[in-house]
Amino acid sequence: MTMPPGLDNLRHIVVLMMENRSFDHMLGSLKAVDPQIDGITGQLSNPDTNGNPVNPQPLAQFQGQLDPDPDHHFPAVDLQIFGGDTSPTRQPNMQGFVKSYFNQQRDVGHSQKIMYYFAQNQLPVLTTLALEFAVFNRWFASIPGPTVCNRAFAHYGTSFGRVDMNPIYVNEPFKSIYDRLINANPKHTAKLYYYDTTSSTMEVANLLQNQPELFGTCDQFLDDCSNGNLPDYAFIEPNYSDHDTDSGEEVANDQHPDHNVQAGELFIASVYNAIKQNPNLWQSTALLVVYDEHGGIYDHVAPPACTPDQFTASTNDTGTGQPFAFDRLGVRVPAILISPWIPKGTVVDRTFDHASIPATITKYFLGDYSPRSPRETSADVFIEPNVAPVDPARNLLSLESPRTDCPDFDV
Amino acid sequence: MTLIHVPRPDVKSAMNPDRPVNALLKAQIQHLHDAEGNLPLRHRTDIYINAIRTEGEAAEYIRRVTEAIDEAHEAAAKRRARPVIKRRRGITIAAAADKGPVAKGPRASGQEKKSALKRGQKT
Repeated sequence: MTMPPGLDNLRHIVVLMMENRSFDHMLGSLKAVDPQIDGITGQLSNPDTNGNPVNPQPLAQFQGQLDPDPDHHFPAVDLQIFGGDTSPTRQPNMQGFVKSYFNQQRDVGHSQKIMYYFAQNQLPVLTTLALEFAVFNRWFASIPGPTVCNRAFAHYGTSFGRVDMNPIYVNEPFKSIYDRLINANPKHTAKLYYYDTTSSTMEVANLLQNQPELFGTCDQFLDDCSNGNLPDYAFIEPNYSDHDTDSGEEVANDQHPDHNVQAGELFIASVYNAIKQNPNLWQSTALLVVYDEHGGIYDHVAPPACTPDQFTASTNDTGTGQPFAFDRLGVRVPAILISPWIPKGTVVDRTFDHASIPATITKYFLGDYSPRSPRETSADVFIEPNVAPVDPARNLLSLESPRTDCPDFDV
Repeated sequence: MTLIHVPRPDVKSAMNPDRPVNALLKAQIQHLHDAEGNLPLRHRTDIYINAIRTEGEAAEYIRRVTEAIDEAHEAAAKRRARPVIKRRRGITIAAAADKGPVAKGPRASGQEKKSALKRGQKT
């Protein structure tokens, strides 16, 4: 039984995780281009604090609009998802975004900007990638909360019971995907590339333990792509701050409000170009561009329930008056899988969250592995394991030969 | 093959190191501050994190601690690479060539030792 050539040629998986933008905000405009993409329609709205319906509009700006930074901590996201309903039988209705943003400045007009989204031509990189490769209609943040715990799901398959931004102290036995790979027999290679030492990494626990082996800078990523030295698994972090360097000013490119969105577009394009410009690497690599959470910005798709994690966040931790069993996903985020083996215009409707990242990497490179968190073991994978038989309905790298018509970005 | 033009932001208007530090950077600073506490003293910064107000100040602290962690790992690697000097068990004493052996008196019995100790005498 032969393997599909896309999977048979796959040697590297790269994940680039950006910051704090929802699916509708970044890719919602594409519904008008491809009806399969679950984006913005004319039937969507949120009530403002006067009870008036506010529709999504293509009026998002690159910078200076979402200031103050929309609240994306657990209590605020609870309001955004459930619209203020705190009853035991409540269901998510995605009606609380404008009310939530109003709480920050008490300005009705300003609060409506949380419903704005980008027109297609404002985001040439992200929208092109979404239309050319595989876009996920149902990729959600792992928890309805902020960055640190959501990124933890991408590294560990769990946030160890945390729903806030405090440091996460890793509790055995769940090891990071990096530890699993570098301690496997035979050993695999993994690298976490941060932008530079001034931006550094959000994954400080691993930085302390494994700095030389696991970490590199963005410049090293570009060199590794050029020289064919990319590891089996690479995770890339953007630049989290405006700062000066010896070679000039570096603009933050993580797209976290209120950082410039165009700077992030450039960064995504540079990562794509670095892989594509090495023909051997391009045919043996799959790149996932994903966002860690929605940043408090509107999305219309209700997050589904999910397998509970073995941890519970207490009432004190959640700040909502209710504990949280990690049994509901966070708000939907943009997620795109890129490879020349993916048919143009692929739209994926299966449900994923960030636990799918360690789930996919583990199953592809290590096969059966334990222990892993309940959330990770139940998460779907975005690349089928390299073991025959492969379900053709699930395999996204399905072409018999690599495409030769993939776009290039002029950066 | 389509070539897509990607507009560049105007750096002057996009860049603002005086921007108030956001929640994400505050969290990163706290995490790195906790990490800094695990470093040997010579690798720690002298920056008071509660005084950090802007993105530029945050960036400087983050850079210093990240580089310090890198340096600490490098120092540890250098120590591991040093040749190990094997130490002998016991102590070699140079023979005192000009001195003869010292004559020893009879050994005191247990009872005699106790009595001598009570009297404050050596045994």
